[in-house]
Amino acid sequence: MNPAQSLPLLQNALTVGAILFSLGLVGILTRRNLIVMFLAAEMMLQGISVSLVAWSRYHGDWGGHVLVIFVLTVAACEAAVALVFVLQAFSRTGRLDAAAWQSLREANVGRTIDHELPAIDTVPLRFPTLAPAGVLPPADENEPLQREHV
Amino acid sequence: MQEFSPSTLLVLVPLLPLVGAILTVLLGHTLGAKAHLPAMAGIAAAAVVAIALLVATARDVGPAHGAHAEAVRPVEMISTLWQWASFDAAYTPPAGSPATDARLTPHDLAAAEDVRSFSLPVALRLDPLTATMLTIITCVGLLVAIYSVGYMHDDPGYPRFFALVAMFVFSMSMLVAASNFLLVYVFWEAVGACSYLLIGFWFTKPEAARAAKKAFLVNRVGDFGLAIAVFLLWMTYGTLDFHDTISSDGVIMPGILGQTRLADAAGYVGGAVGTAICLLLLLAACGKSAQLPLHVWLPDAMEGPTPASALIHAATMVTAGIYLITRSAPLFAACPGALTMVSIVGATTALVAALIGTVQNDLKRVLAYSTISQLGYMFASLGTGTLLGFTAAIFHLLTHACFKALLFLGAGSVMHAMGGVIDMRRFGGLRRVMPITAATFFVGAAALAGVAPFAGFFSKDEILAALHSKGWPAAHGDHHAAAASDGSFQLIAFSPEAAHATVTAPAVGLDALDRPETWQILFWMSLVTAGLTAFYTFRAVFMTFTGPTRVPEGAHGHGGHGDHGGHGDHADDGGHGSHGGHGGHGGHGGHGGHESYESPSAMTWPLMILAIPSALVGWLLFSTNWLAHFLSATPSLTAPAVAATATPHVFHMNLAIQGTLAAAIGIVVAAIGHLGRRSDGPQLERFLGPLQTLFANKFYFDQIYSALIVKPLEGLALVAALFDRHVIDGTVDAIARIPVALGGIVRRSQSGLLQRYALVGVMGVLAIVVLLTWQLRG
Repeated sequence: MNPAQSLPLLQNALTVGAILFSLGLVGILTRRNLIVMFLAAEMMLQGISVSLVAWSRYHGDWGGHVLVIFVLTVAACEAAVALVFVLQAFSRTGRLDAAAWQSLREANVGRTIDHELPAIDTVPLRFPTLAPAGVLPPADENEPLQREHV
Repeated sequence: MQEFSPSTLLVLVPLLPLVGAILTVLLGHTLGAKAHLPAMAGIAAAAVVAIALLVATARDVGPAHGAHAEAVRPVEMISTLWQWASFDAAYTPPAGSPATDARLTPHDLAAAEDVRSFSLPVALRLDPLTATMLTIITCVGLLVAIYSVGYMHDDPGYPRFFALVAMFVFSMSMLVAASNFLLVYVFWEAVGACSYLLIGFWFTKPEAARAAKKAFLVNRVGDFGLAIAVFLLWMTYGTLDFHDTISSDGVIMPGILGQTRLADAAGYVGGAVGTAICLLLLLAACGKSAQLPLHVWLPDAMEGPTPASALIHAATMVTAGIYLITRSAPLFAACPGALTMVSIVGATTALVAALIGTVQNDLKRVLAYSTISQLGYMFASLGTGTLLGFTAAIFHLLTHACFKALLFLGAGSVMHAMGGVIDMRRFGGLRRVMPITAATFFVGAAALAGVAPFAGFFSKDEILAALHSKGWPAAHGDHHAAAASDGSFQLIAFSPEAAHATVTAPAVGLDALDRPETWQILFWMSLVTAGLTAFYTFRAVFMTFTGPTRVPEGAHGHGGHGDHGGHGDHADDGGHGSHGGHGGHGGHGGHGGHESYESPSAMTWPLMILAIPSALVGWLLFSTNWLAHFLSATPSLTAPAVAATATPHVFHMNLAIQGTLAAAIGIVVAAIGHLGRRSDGPQLERFLGPLQTLFANKFYFDQIYSALIVKPLEGLALVAALFDRHVIDGTVDAIARIPVALGGIVRRSQSGLLQRYALVGVMGVLAIVVLLTWQLRG
């Protein structure tokens, strides 16, 4: 019997995959920070990938390995896209809290409050900007230079 | 003409107006005031072709040999364009139906094979009857189109009008040229649709829209009869073609009016089925030709433009019923009871419409009732079932088309000049200001009244002679007529087996009507009608054209004065005729100081052209007996039952005297009442007493129909509307509330919290996993 196809090795790898998946699941269900939720989802994905590799190795079939390489590539692209969404969501609300989007609920459903969020700092948030270069374009007085919440 | 075969020419007659109509539709707005050109060119070309076909057919028929009736060879030419539908083994006639009877299929076609094929060729036919009708339709259509250039100019719907007229000429040509009952039905509907569109031409006027709807709905009753008749014909004869067709295996399929069947005296079904077919055809004819009791639409149809009234509701479309019955002559000849009904309906209609016509004050309505009355005359003549009767009806149809179109166009000319006023009480003495219209109108009126040398005299005399020969067969010394009245040419006593009893039970009640006494009554009714016709015609002439000259305020002479305020009352022609000052007509002098109201030359020329045949065609056709001889070569009229009744062509002096006397009395009474002094009819009212109310209310037909049919139907419609709105809509709304309520429950879970959605998803997956595990274990 090929030592690579031993059952204990498979069991160990599957255990690691299941732990990764469960951690990710718990993370997604319990955390409200969009970035953390995203990381948790990635963790679930990697847990699945680990079990895929384990099964592939156990059966001596390279297809699983190839698939996982593809999954990693796709996950990288998806991470870029997902982070853009997170960034956009943040720039809309000034928060990374997923509960900030609960206004998308049905009209006749009440607001869910576990605890009140702290009031937004009235001082405009300032972010580092690049040093200005070239000719300053004429300012449009109708357009505020800076949004209230980013 | 050698390079064109008649079949090509025959196709051209309907095709050219159709092309004209399509071009008018496409180019109408580009052409603007010249929109009449394509339609008129199409109709004119069709008229030329139709006359060429008439000449060619007449050459085929050959000249008449003296006054004596001789056996004529049927002349027909079939041009099959394409096969519309063709099914093998389409139909199994039920056992015992007449279609399976070997005697009715002369070549033992269906005796062996009881499964029939169904084929429907689009075929045109040319025979004397069709050639005559085509000539009338296209020539009157052309004159009406020319007239309309003057009458309709400045109308916003100018291109639409000409497109419809050309479309009508196409449909009507197809109707009379079709060689198939189904095609006849199709174009029967097509002319009805054209009629509907032209009556409602000024559809913004509520009366016109209502009249159009009424005409359409009343015609529907007749069309229903035609549809049922077509079904029955198919069931009975197993074909719908008029002509014989040769199937692919070389067997001759006898057409309903084909020569094979016509040659065999036993070719037609009598009895109950035959009578039912004939009565249904009569119902159809009553609808289209405005006979009692379906005549109510025609007077209202006068809301349409006058040229359309002249073309459709006087000269051509309303004669479709006459055409249909003449075409179906062999079917009717097998059912004397149905034939008698045709005459009874016709004579009654003639009398009733004439009585109503005597008290109408609207010039166009007088003419409308006169049309109904004259069509009744033709029906009375058709019902005699003799060759004389059929040819007399078509003769009268021809002369009537000329003089009634003339009268209508004359009335339109008056209306055009009087600023849309058509009430005869509001104008008078117009012969001084409209000399051409007055003279031509007089010719038409004389022809309608049956004054001796004019056209109507001869055709009306023929009709009276046909009725007289049935009422007093002995007086005519003609054994055929005598035989006819005692029922011996009842062709088929189709009752061979008892099994056929239900199909063939003779309509004893109806056939019993066919006795000399009936015809004597019908003859006297027709004679009285002749007198009444003369009375109301000349009443209209005297009221309109004689006496001191009076014109309504809205009218414009060629001096062109003032603005036009007053339009006519109910027959206001949509603001027409309110265009005075024609620049080119300044030279009308010498009218005794009156300004001229005469219509433009585009309108007077057709009047003058129509006046010629109105005056002469009767004498020409009567003295030479050309038309009767020509028509007797129509296949339908060569059926033995019809051809056997041919009588020598003679001039019945005693009938002519009676007819002239009746007309003279009518004219004299009209002159006493209306000539010389201005009369708005109080003498007539005093004379008629309560009858005047009856006549003025048109025998209360509209009221009776309103109470018996319209009101109950409106009530039913209201109930249906309420049921629809409350019961059906309520049910649908109630069902629609169920998903809304269910959605309301599910909607609560939409909290907007991502974690909750994720939790539900995980729980779902867990549930599936648990379920699967449990199942795999179990």
